[in-house]
Amino acid sequence: MVRTRTEIPPSAAGPRGWLRRVHAALAVATAVSAAAVAAPAAAFTVFACEPEWAALARALLPQARVHVATTAQQDPHHIEARPALIAQLRGADLAACTGASLEAGWLPTLQQRAGNPRVQDGAPGMFYAADHVILIDVPQRGAAALATPFAGDVHAEGNPHLHADPRRLLEAARALAAQVQALQPAQAGAVGERLARLESRLQARIGDWERRAAPLRGRAVAVQHGSLAYLWRWLGLVPVADLEPVPGMAPTPGHLQRVLQALRPKPPLAIVVARHQDPRPGRWLAAQLGGSVPLLVLPATVPDDSAPDAIEDWFEQMLQALLKAAGG
Amino acid sequence: MAFRSLSHRSILALVAGVAALAGLSPAAQAQPRQPGWELGGVLDVAATSREVAFGQRDKGLGLGHSDVSLRGPLGRALSAQFTLAAHTHDGKLEAEIEEAWVETRTLPAGLQLRLGRFAAQVGRLNEQHPHADDFVERPLLHRAFLGGHWFDDGLRLNWTAPTDVYLRLGAEVMRGHQLVHEVASARSPGAFTLNARTGGDLGVGSSWQLGLSWLHNRREAEPEDPAAPHEHEAHGAHFSGKRTALVDLTWKWAPQGNNRQRQLAISTEIARIRGINRHDTGTQRHAAGTLSVVWRHTQAWEFGLRTDWLLADHPHLADFEPLRLREQALTVAWKPTHAQALRLQFTTQRDALDVDDAARRSVQLQYVLSFGAHGAHSY
Repeated sequence: MVRTRTEIPPSAAGPRGWLRRVHAALAVATAVSAAAVAAPAAAFTVFACEPEWAALARALLPQARVHVATTAQQDPHHIEARPALIAQLRGADLAACTGASLEAGWLPTLQQRAGNPRVQDGAPGMFYAADHVILIDVPQRGAAALATPFAGDVHAEGNPHLHADPRRLLEAARALAAQVQALQPAQAGAVGERLARLESRLQARIGDWERRAAPLRGRAVAVQHGSLAYLWRWLGLVPVADLEPVPGMAPTPGHLQRVLQALRPKPPLAIVVARHQDPRPGRWLAAQLGGSVPLLVLPATVPDDSAPDAIEDWFEQMLQALLKAAGG
Repeated sequence: MAFRSLSHRSILALVAGVAALAGLSPAAQAQPRQPGWELGGVLDVAATSREVAFGQRDKGLGLGHSDVSLRGPLGRALSAQFTLAAHTHDGKLEAEIEEAWVETRTLPAGLQLRLGRFAAQVGRLNEQHPHADDFVERPLLHRAFLGGHWFDDGLRLNWTAPTDVYLRLGAEVMRGHQLVHEVASARSPGAFTLNARTGGDLGVGSSWQLGLSWLHNRREAEPEDPAAPHEHEAHGAHFSGKRTALVDLTWKWAPQGNNRQRQLAISTEIARIRGINRHDTGTQRHAAGTLSVVWRHTQAWEFGLRTDWLLADHPHLADFEPLRLREQALTVAWKPTHAQALRLQFTTQRDALDVDDAARRSVQLQYVLSFGAHGAHSY
């Protein structure tokens, strides 16, 4: 780029200056594209919107290059369409995302800016987990249409945080494997074997988790947002209060007072907030309840997607925290 | 242009029609995603104690850049957007088609072609709708040189490099009518732009973007006649010239990259215009700069500080008058939900030379409300 710029004579600001600049830009474009063509064929590249899909992609295609757009420390609803993410999506052969409008604030911009035909909606390289799983908390048909801006971030498709139910995560893994197989026919057999291994491993753990979680069944939790709604449903826990007045809205003092009044007569097992959320409202509530109710700050997704047993470790971590809160 | 002054009634009819359409659109459930059309609207209302020079909001209560937008795919290969925008100006409601374009989605090699009416790709902010800004008014640079928000009829070709560091090169051919309205001379097409944009992450918490833009304008503005009433053109650029160069640089940081809770965003843009008109002796130029710092303290509270400057050689018939202005703005925004923002801004304009209507102090209160699918945010 520097070399090309020195080719512009100092008089480039003349009447035909813009034309020279067009030529300069074209020269840069040609140089960069030549460099790109000369580079060796890159590995199959996956763009994962959230870490759980990165973990699955790594399990199915260990040799793939995987970019992860978000971490457990970040709120997946509110990610900026940063230049780095556009560049990553530009080079992706497959984009694995949650869908159900979870990424509505940033993924469409990335898709539009990246100009990568492989990962446009409807293309074989675009995977939305929510398209393959039945979602919970789906608003009634009329309710979604009538939703006002004051109702908060209500997703017409239902709660998108489906990965917190390992059975649904497995369903999504099967669909993702099928899509990977279609994109990489030469790898189809190997991907199928890895999926089978993942399934048997996870199925065994699901049985174990469900047995150990038996004492949690029917217990109440106070939550902040529906990030772990699928986990509660799966383990039979009951989210009795939400610190958010409406979905996506930060807790307000008035609402916290109401939650406190509602919880006082029958304190829940725990107050659970996600790691990417502000813990102060939950901390306040726990203190007001007299310290008998612990505040659990849990990662709302896989904390380290490149760990070998990333998914199992995450569920294990959440279960242990809940069991500890239950006193066992 | 022909669309500029729609009557109130026709706008209301249009809005009602679009709203009815929104009510009819069924919510798809648990089926494979059919990429669909999305409808959204934004209402931007502001009360202004005193108009700022080159400002875009009237004194008193006014409608800012409010719009109704429809966007979605056109088959596999194309996507399209239609945006009807309205605002009040001098007490009158003005509506215009702000975006009406089709863009390719499936060209190979990172190429994209867009045709229709859209916001030109110059500087960082111009592509963004003004209601998404962190301040009540656009930077002085944009107000003075780009008419606040320069959208026009044209053709765009973009190329995104297949590199790990983001690099995009773009070229546009624009009609230029929305940039310079009253011309002394013009050639068609009226404007060309070139834009290079690069950026990336610096670790988990911070990110940056650098943009270089070049605008070649072939519409020479009619110089002001000092005898005529001193009336600024409300739309289009206040100051123009043949060659505009813009540089923009942005750096953002959030603890652990969690920008929802806290974020520091620092952004600057600098522009210089040369070749003002046929009387330009080669020494005249316009220049402007802006520097803003915005701190998101919690999900709901944001604080912003911005400083702007403008230097211009203001054409008067065959002469030029030096013009100068500085502006500082301080803003506090409360965003109770993602769809709402209430913003209070104090603006002061100083060191004014040849600017009659500089506002020593102006207080503005703005409320922005988004309905339906709000468009994704750009960086």
